[in-house]
Amino acid sequence: MSQDAENHATQSIGFWAEAWVRFRRQRLAMAALVFVGLLAMIAVFSPVIVGTKPIICHYKGGYYFPAAGYFYEQWENPIFITDGVIYSYPQKLKQNDSESWAIWPIIYQDPLRRVRDGEWNEGSGNPIGSAGTPSRRNLFGTNDLGEDVFAKMIHGTRIALLIGFVSTGIATVIGIFVGASAGFFGGKIDWALSRAIEIMMCIPTLILILALISIIDKPTIWHLMVVIGVFGWTGIARLTRAEFLKLKQLEYVTAAKALGFRWPRLMFRHILPNSLAPVIVPITFGIAAAILLESTLGFLGIGAPDKTSWGRLLNEGKENLQMWWLIVFPGAAIFLTVLAYNLIGEGIQQATDPTLKSSKH
Amino acid sequence: MLNYLIRRIIFGLATLLVITCAVYALIRHMPGTPLTLDLAEMSLDQQISPSEMKRLERQYHLDRPWYVGYWLWVGNLGRGDLGRSIKEKKPVSQVIAERVPRTLLLSGTSLVLAYLLSLPLGLYSTARSGKIDERIVSTLLYMLYAVPTFVAGLLLLVFFYKDLAGTPFQLEPGMFSRNYSTLSPTGQALDVAKHMILPVICFTYGSLAYYSRFIKSNMEEVVRQDYIRTAKAKGVAPPRILLQHAFRNTLIPYVTMIGLTLPALIGGSVVLEYIFNWPGMGTLYLDALSQRDYPVIMGLTLMFSALTLVGQLLADVLYAVVDPRISYQ
Repeated sequence: MSQDAENHATQSIGFWAEAWVRFRRQRLAMAALVFVGLLAMIAVFSPVIVGTKPIICHYKGGYYFPAAGYFYEQWENPIFITDGVIYSYPQKLKQNDSESWAIWPIIYQDPLRRVRDGEWNEGSGNPIGSAGTPSRRNLFGTNDLGEDVFAKMIHGTRIALLIGFVSTGIATVIGIFVGASAGFFGGKIDWALSRAIEIMMCIPTLILILALISIIDKPTIWHLMVVIGVFGWTGIARLTRAEFLKLKQLEYVTAAKALGFRWPRLMFRHILPNSLAPVIVPITFGIAAAILLESTLGFLGIGAPDKTSWGRLLNEGKENLQMWWLIVFPGAAIFLTVLAYNLIGEGIQQATDPTLKSSKH
Repeated sequence: MLNYLIRRIIFGLATLLVITCAVYALIRHMPGTPLTLDLAEMSLDQQISPSEMKRLERQYHLDRPWYVGYWLWVGNLGRGDLGRSIKEKKPVSQVIAERVPRTLLLSGTSLVLAYLLSLPLGLYSTARSGKIDERIVSTLLYMLYAVPTFVAGLLLLVFFYKDLAGTPFQLEPGMFSRNYSTLSPTGQALDVAKHMILPVICFTYGSLAYYSRFIKSNMEEVVRQDYIRTAKAKGVAPPRILLQHAFRNTLIPYVTMIGLTLPALIGGSVVLEYIFNWPGMGTLYLDALSQRDYPVIMGLTLMFSALTLVGQLLADVLYAVVDPRISYQ
């Protein structure tokens, strides 16, 4: 008897551990997860993969990491700006300090400007316009201004991933909070919050985003993330509300109430963890939707003027249809990323939905 | 039911007021007015004099704070007047009425196509569920669903407009050919139809994938139920089970979805019309936003939000009509 009980205790793994086991069994969803992981690696190491700034350099007696400037402009040491080095590191470093050495990115191309003649190893500069077909020097070709498309796409990975996580993160926090309050308290609060959700769902997103972005003085990609997040929470809120309505009537909640716990504890410790599984699926789809929305805005030429956004490249492609490489490569990147997040969402759904447990596999 | 309808309509009207108020406040705070943006485009000798500027500002209530302007807009709306477009110098209702049929041409065609094609596709994938051909079709549809419309649209343009240039198969963006006015009525209809091919493909493939997956997932749930097993046991032919027993019960969510497609039907797609230079509602909306044509933006916002609300109401009412277990008190 006691041994039986022991056996049972060792066998019972948590809900999430079990979901993970079932998620891992789905090959497509796992492949998608690996793909997103790969994208994250590319995003983190983008200045190492492609750039015109040294990863590490020894210059005038100090060690510097100019490539960090791709993440945040101010991280590029001011000495390079005062010395006028930033647009031609290879020559100027040697000119100013013959003792200097540097470790360069794998590919010498820049996401923000054209590489000029003789800038790197005496090679010629980037071709401009429709002459810029994909080649060994410009893997994915160049755009109208002679900027390298491959470099733009690698550095654009950061935007795509950040947009997904930051704006969906904001939407999740707002959505769970609103939905939980509506479902938990019911009555007038529920009525008011439900009306608010309905209103949000009716407002044309494009007007709102465009108006808000143009009110901001100097819109950056961060503003765009916040705006997308602030308007993307309604689906999550509705699902959380429904889950809370269902769960708050269960016995264990009544028991917790009888024990004298106050509402914050009931809401966040008792009900919320159990309502998370169905909410996590729309969150994953929300990431895909946010990435899609950002690239749509970039494509329409609306929103933050970020030169590396994938959607931006497609916008240039629309103006220059003969430059197919401006459409095929970023289009494939957007497609694969959106597909990956959708597959992950589907995988989580399969892994966490108890009604599908016995019927499949 | 009547009570329920009246309550919903009152709330709907209140919702519309909140939305239009918010949008009016937002667009009035956007930098630039229709008049100043206009000035920037004009050459010096055409500049409006300051007194003329004042007169125009008064005409469009730009000299008043936004809440007064909004109040005047609501007042005019009560009299059935949406105002005049600042750019096109025509009543807003007329500007919109000109665009609606053009958008309907695209969205209506694609809706019919998507519904007609998704039914056999969905039923086919239920019948062949798990077989290799079904897996292939479903995977393809799933991937198709993830292709952003603007990527698909641009690729189609690259192929049909650039690569096929000079051949009879070349398809152009836009709604009319350059020689449209010289064509006979049949020729004109054919010309528009030819221009519709690419946008309709783009409009349809996403919803086709979505609808057929929707039908399949609903069918799979129904097929597992006891009464289907009973039908099988008493020897009903499989196609008959699928169509008469199972499919009828999946009609409920399918029918309600019609209500939810209403806004997209008339609103069209901003992105698609932008890609294919289609002069419909979507391009009107983008142009009005970039030119700060306040009356047009407000008219469109009102229309989109009203359609969304009506669509939701329609979905709920249809739900009660097709499912007798649902009633609204």
